[in-house]
Amino acid sequence: MQRRIHILPDHVANQIAAGEVVERPASAIKELVENSLDALASQIEIEIRNGGKTELRVADDGYGMGRDDALLAIDRHATSKIRDEKDLRAIRSLGFRGEALPSIAAVSRFELETASVEDGEGTRIKINGGRVVAVEEIARRPGTTVTVRSLFFNVPARAKFLRSAAAEARAVSEATTALALANLSTGFRLHSNGRELLDVPRTGDLAARIAAIWGEDLASQLLPIDYLSDGLRVAGLIQRPADTRPGSRRLYLFVNGRPFSDRFIVRAAEEAYRTTLPGGYRPVLFLYLELPAEEVDVNVHPAKAEVRFLNKMKVEATVTEAVRSGLEGIESTASLGQQATGTVQLTSRGLPPGQARPRPTAATPGGAQMALFVPGEVVPSKPSAETGEEPGWWTGRAGAMWQLHDSYILAETRSGLIIVDQHSAHERVLFEQMMRDFRGGKTSSQRLLFPITLRLSPGEMQAVEELAGVLRRVGYELETFGSNTVIIHAVPNPHPHFDAERCFREMIAELAHGSPLVDSARNQHERVAKSFACKAAVKAGQPLSEREMTELFDRLFASELPGHDVHGRPTILRLSLEELARRFGRS
Amino acid sequence: MKVTITRENFQRGLSAVAATIPARTTLPVLSNILVETLEDRLRVRGTDLDISVSVQTPAEVERAGAITLPAKKVADIARELPDAPVQLQANGGRVSLVCGSSKFRLHSLSADEYPSFPEVPFDEGWGLRSGEVQKLSAHTTFAVSSEETRPVLNGVLWQVRGAEMRMVATNGHRLAKMVVKVTRDAAGQDEDLIVPPKGLQQVERLFDAEDQLQIARSESHLGFRTARVEVYTRLIEGPYPNYEQVLPEDNDKICIADRGALTAAVRRVAIVASDQTHRVRLSFGPGTLALAVQTPDLGEAEDELGVEYSGAPLDIGFNANYVLEILRYISTEEVRIAMSAPERPATFEPVGGDETYLCLVMPLRLME
Repeated sequence: MQRRIHILPDHVANQIAAGEVVERPASAIKELVENSLDALASQIEIEIRNGGKTELRVADDGYGMGRDDALLAIDRHATSKIRDEKDLRAIRSLGFRGEALPSIAAVSRFELETASVEDGEGTRIKINGGRVVAVEEIARRPGTTVTVRSLFFNVPARAKFLRSAAAEARAVSEATTALALANLSTGFRLHSNGRELLDVPRTGDLAARIAAIWGEDLASQLLPIDYLSDGLRVAGLIQRPADTRPGSRRLYLFVNGRPFSDRFIVRAAEEAYRTTLPGGYRPVLFLYLELPAEEVDVNVHPAKAEVRFLNKMKVEATVTEAVRSGLEGIESTASLGQQATGTVQLTSRGLPPGQARPRPTAATPGGAQMALFVPGEVVPSKPSAETGEEPGWWTGRAGAMWQLHDSYILAETRSGLIIVDQHSAHERVLFEQMMRDFRGGKTSSQRLLFPITLRLSPGEMQAVEELAGVLRRVGYELETFGSNTVIIHAVPNPHPHFDAERCFREMIAELAHGSPLVDSARNQHERVAKSFACKAAVKAGQPLSEREMTELFDRLFASELPGHDVHGRPTILRLSLEELARRFGRS
Repeated sequence: MKVTITRENFQRGLSAVAATIPARTTLPVLSNILVETLEDRLRVRGTDLDISVSVQTPAEVERAGAITLPAKKVADIARELPDAPVQLQANGGRVSLVCGSSKFRLHSLSADEYPSFPEVPFDEGWGLRSGEVQKLSAHTTFAVSSEETRPVLNGVLWQVRGAEMRMVATNGHRLAKMVVKVTRDAAGQDEDLIVPPKGLQQVERLFDAEDQLQIARSESHLGFRTARVEVYTRLIEGPYPNYEQVLPEDNDKICIADRGALTAAVRRVAIVASDQTHRVRLSFGPGTLALAVQTPDLGEAEDELGVEYSGAPLDIGFNANYVLEILRYISTEEVRIAMSAPERPATFEPVGGDETYLCLVMPLRLME
C-alpha cells in the first residue's frame, strides 16, 4: 500500500516555518538585527530597497562566525544561544529558536557574509530558495552582513500579502525604532532607497536616544521612573500629564530588553494617569520591565511580539505603582522653560549598589540587551538634588508666599519658585479626600438652620434621586418634595468660602447632563467626587489668608498626585533658579 | 481756611474717622478725609460709601473753609507731632500744617469732590441710650455670615418692638439673639432693620455708653448721632429669614456646665480637630460630658468634665469654633445647653444674669 504520510523535505518545512517567523520584511529585519545584537554588535546598519521587498541588508560589527558555524547557522534549529530544554526556561538572548536564518533563506535569495573575531577568515554563503548555491572564502572585517533579495520570490501566495513599499518601509522603521530603544549601547542606522530614516549613535541615556529619534521636544516632556518591587523592576520614561495630547501616541514596552506588546500592561500604566488626564488623552510611555527570566515566557509567539508573565496581576499592579510613583513628584508638574531632567548614574532603588548586576562582557554573550539597566549605563533619573528635598521641598517659609490676582499662589521652593493654581490645587485635594471618605472614611455635614429649597428640572431631579445615597456621603442631606423640589437640610463644609447652594446646583446640573469631566469617571462615586471637587473647590478670585494658603499647600502636598488636577490640568508650574539665571543671562 | 487746634484734639478727630477709610479704593477721594470749619470747631469726616463717620472737635477758626487731607499720611503726621498747637491753612491746592518747628505742605483734593453724606430725617427718629445698642451689637455681630451669597445674612437684624429691642445674627449654621427692655423717649414706631456689622462696630467705638443717641432711618440708610459724633450706615435690604420659626421650643435635654471648664476642654481637644470641619463630639451622660475628636491622618483626643445633666444620653457633634465663639460671648459663670437630638439645633444660654441672650448651633453630623 502506498504510504500517504511522509516527512516533508527540509526546504518545504523551512518555507512553512518562514511563514510564521518571517511574514514581511520588517520581521526579517527584526530577526537579523536580533542576531546582530546577540553577537554584541556596537553598530548596526540596515538598508532596504522598495520597502525591503526587493532587497534588505543588515550589517553588523559583532562577533561574526567561522566557516563551520556559518554553514550550521543556516540549518533549522541550529543555534548558539541555547543548548537544551533547561536553557529554554531562562532565556536571556533575543533569538533562540534557531529558525530565523534558515527560514529567511528558504524564501529569498539569501547571502550571508561573515568573518569571526577569532580567526578573521571570511565566508560568503549564497542560498536560493533554501538551496545552498555557493560557499566562498572572502576577505572582510569581523562581523556579519546578511543580504536578502526577492523575499518570498518562491512563495507567491505570501508575496501577494505584502503591502505597498511605503507601508513595508514604515513597518521596518517601526521595528528598528523599537530595537533601538531596547539597545542603547548599539548604534543604529536605517536607510530606505538610499534615504536616511534613522541614525542614532551609541548612548547610555534613554532620553538621549529618544531625542535622537524624535527630537528634544518629546524628550523634555518625559519623566524618569525607576521602581523596584519584589524582584520586578519597572524603569523608563513617562510623559508629564500636562504635555499629553489626544490622538496618536508613542508606546514602547520592553521586558528584559525585548520589545513586546501587551494591552493589559498599557492599561495598567494608564491607570496610574487616571484623574490627571482629560478624556481621550493618552500618555507617551517607554517602559522597561526587568524580572527574573524564569518569570516571563517569551516563547509564546514565533515573532516574540507577545510574552506571558508568570504572575500577570503582579506585573500589572507594579507597572501602575511605578508610573504613579513618577507622577507623584514635583518633577511631574509643568515647568516654565527648560526642564532640568539631568541624567544621573542609575542606581536601582532598593538594590544596594554593590549587588547590582555586573556589566556584561564579551564572555557573556546575550547580556547586551540588559545594558539599559546595568550600572555604568546612564539613564535619566530623578535629579538627586530635588529628590533630597522631598517631601518638604516647599520651604514652608511664612511670608515666602504670595497670592497673585486672588487666583494663583506663588511660593519659594529650594530650587526656585512654584506657582500654584488655587482652584486646581484645591480640586485635587478635595477629590482625593472625597474618594478616601467613600472608601470608608466619614464625611461631616453641617446641619442648616434655614434649609435650602431648590427647584430642579426633571433630569436633575432624576439624578438627585439616583444619587441620593452618594450625595449623602458627600455631606448633602436631602429630602425630595413633590416632583421638582428638593430640600437640603445639611451641607458639606469643605472650606470657609464654600457656597453650598451654588455648589449643589452646579454639581447636579453637571451630573444630570454630563460633562467631559464626569463622563471620564469610572463609577458613580468617582463621578460625584470629581464633580464635587470641581464645584466645591475654592474659586479663582477668592482672596486667601496666609493661613489658608499654607493649609492648602500642606494638604496639596500630602495628596497622592499633587501636580495634577482632576481635569488633566497642571496644578503647579515650576520656575527653577537655573531657568531664572538663564533668562537673566547669568548662566 | 485757617484754623488752630490742639494736637490732642486734632489726633482724636483723625483717629475717630480713620477706621472708615478704605485701605484700597478705586475712588481716590475716599482715601482722604474731609475737614470743615464750624463756628468754633472742626468737623472731620471719613467714608467708604457704606459707612460714614463724622466727629467734631474744638478749634480756633480764623478763616472758614473746607479741605481734604490724605487720611493715612495726616494720621501718621499727627502721631509724630510735638505737643503744640497745630495750625492748618489752605493755600490753593495745598494745605500747610505747622506745629512748633515742624512744617508740612500737603497736596489736597478739592472739598467739592468729597462724597456727600446720607440724608437721614432725624426729626422723625427716636432716642435711645447708646449702651443698649452697644450691648446688643457686641453680643450678636460675631454671628453674621461672611459669605456674600445671602446678603441679608451679612447683616444684623435689629428689631425695635415697643419697649423691647432685639438683635439677631446668623450665618445659617449658628445664631445669636439678644433682647433688652428699653425706655424710648417717644412712642416710636416698630422697626425692622438689617444693619451691616461694620456700622454697628462704629457705634460701639465712637459713642459712650451713657450718650443719648438720636437714631433715624431713611429708605436706604440708618443714622446715629449726638451733638459731637455722627455715624451713618447703609442698610441691607430684606427680607430676613424667619428665625423665630427655627428656634427650638422642645429642647428637653438640659445640661448646665461651667463655662470656663467647658471652654478649656473644647479648646484642648479642638487642637487635633480637622482644620476643615473643626468637628468635636460631645457625649452627654449622667453628670458628665465627654468630649472627643477623631481626625483621620492626625489623631484623636478625649476629655471629660462634670456637668449637671440628667437627660437620656446624647451624642452630638459641633464645629468647635462655633461653640468656642459662643462661650466667649456668654459672660455668666455657668452656661445652659439645651438639646433634643443629634441632628436638631442646640441652644446655649447664660445661667443667671439679667440678659435675655440665646445662641444656637446646628450640629455637624457624620455621614457614613
